Amino acid sequence: MIVVRAPFRISFVGGGTDLPDFYRQHQGAVISATIDKYVYIIINPTPMISSVSARYSITETVDHPSKLQHTRIRAALDELGIKSHIEIGSFASIQSKTGLGSSSSFSVALMKGLHLFKGKKLSQKEAAEAACRLEIDLLNEPIGKQDQHAAAMGGFIIFEFNADESVNIKPIFLGFEASSKLEDHLLLFFTGITRSASNVLGKQRTNIDKKLNEYKEMAALVPVFEKELLAGNIKGMAKILHKNWILKKNLSKNISSTVIDKLYEAGLRSGAWGGKILGAGGGGCLMFLAPPSKHKAIRAKMLLLAKRNKLTGFQEIPVKFVQSGVEVLLNDDHTVL
Amino acid sequence: MKNFINNFLDEARKVILTIEPEEIAKALKIFQATYERDGRIYIFGNGGSLALATHWVSDFNKTVFSQDLSRPIKRFQALRLPSSESELTAWANDVGYDMVFAGPLQNYLGDSDCVVAISSSGNSANIIKAVQLAKARHIPVVGLSGFDGGKLAELADAAIVVKTEKGRYDLVESIHDVVLHLITKYFQDYFNHLAAKDAKK
Repeated sequence: MIVVRAPFRISFVGGGTDLPDFYRQHQGAVISATIDKYVYIIINPTPMISSVSARYSITETVDHPSKLQHTRIRAALDELGIKSHIEIGSFASIQSKTGLGSSSSFSVALMKGLHLFKGKKLSQKEAAEAACRLEIDLLNEPIGKQDQHAAAMGGFIIFEFNADESVNIKPIFLGFEASSKLEDHLLLFFTGITRSASNVLGKQRTNIDKKLNEYKEMAALVPVFEKELLAGNIKGMAKILHKNWILKKNLSKNISSTVIDKLYEAGLRSGAWGGKILGAGGGGCLMFLAPPSKHKAIRAKMLLLAKRNKLTGFQEIPVKFVQSGVEVLLNDDHTVL
Repeated sequence: MKNFINNFLDEARKVILTIEPEEIAKALKIFQATYERDGRIYIFGNGGSLALATHWVSDFNKTVFSQDLSRPIKRFQALRLPSSESELTAWANDVGYDMVFAGPLQNYLGDSDCVVAISSSGNSANIIKAVQLAKARHIPVVGLSGFDGGKLAELADAAIVVKTEKGRYDLVESIHDVVLHLITKYFQDYFNHLAAKDAKK
């Protein structure tokens, strides 16, 4: 049996500039960090059972992988030429479509695990590239390349996306004190509204050419955010998040919504320095940076508004930053060296 | 006498500044990620470097949790290879000296572990053999070397190099010890910080 996990991530600034429609014209940049919430992929070879099983929110058992409903598992098995004798299960710390990059974390862990099943160990970078190929080239998802790399490498990282499809990866080495201070100021709420990144991004991509300046400004915020992060200036970081959110909101009308705007404004009024919606938009998670003394008030306000707006799945997600990326937790087939 | 002493201390001061702090930061990230996935650290070296490895392992295993020796929190293990002189001599005598690290390592190394290799020249054949084994499995490698860095500096994911003229084992080994203590102190402070945070809750 093989157990692989990949962390979810929080994207701070620059999200959207990782789309090819932008980075083929101007270098894109994103800064993100992985958190202590993971997706786990379990791969069980079944030498006596020839069928293929995929176990996630439902269980599928088929005699050929092409019959699977799960598009990613189906495409991944096809890509690797795995036709039978396998069970694949997925588990996660939190639900999907929260804006924490979970679907790419899934792909990274899946590709790392399936390659291991085939007898090949992938490096973190290779796992990210395999996940990009799966999602972008094979499944034509209109998404970028930041999430796969963030989940694979782990930690605080700046990604720069070049026109020739290469990705510059610049890890930011943040000590435990700085990272712990950031955790102490950070509030993360799942809005209860789920959306698929592909839907929001699909619409966003159609008008990138009209919004080039906004994208350029967002990419330019990345080094400014990095400076504040290294200096431990939380308030400065919050202001940049806010600026990025205002820019991002105007890229496409699907990114925010009345209720998200209401929640965000209320957070700021209750004492938050700044924040943003995490992920492609339209729902997902709301993040604030706020002085710890204001956390109680912000929390209360959010829960009240969530109740009023009937956001039944609304809840706070406690967050710790992690340095780990995609990794094998168990591999009891020791013939793979 | 005074000249000799001042001269040596001067040299030590100069070479300590040749270390790239970012390489130590990379090493700390590797260790942190290893801790998070419940992996182990394997460390090895020849001669004085093996003594450094042994010293570090005994310090690290106990000191990083010194405030918390009885608290039930996730632990962090570092192991020196070979594990004993019997293992060392068995590999050296039966297989060859070039296998004294790679031999035990292939037996111990798991997918969630990481490796620390110490070699002043960075070119010791038995060290390079073990590092190549780890690299082939995509296991992160921290290298501590000296002189011009050697092959170890090229292979390591975090290459901590004390740049000196060839043959200055005295300086290289001394500064390696400083770096190893830095690593222990970082994790000691980190676990103390976590404990203090928990106590506040």
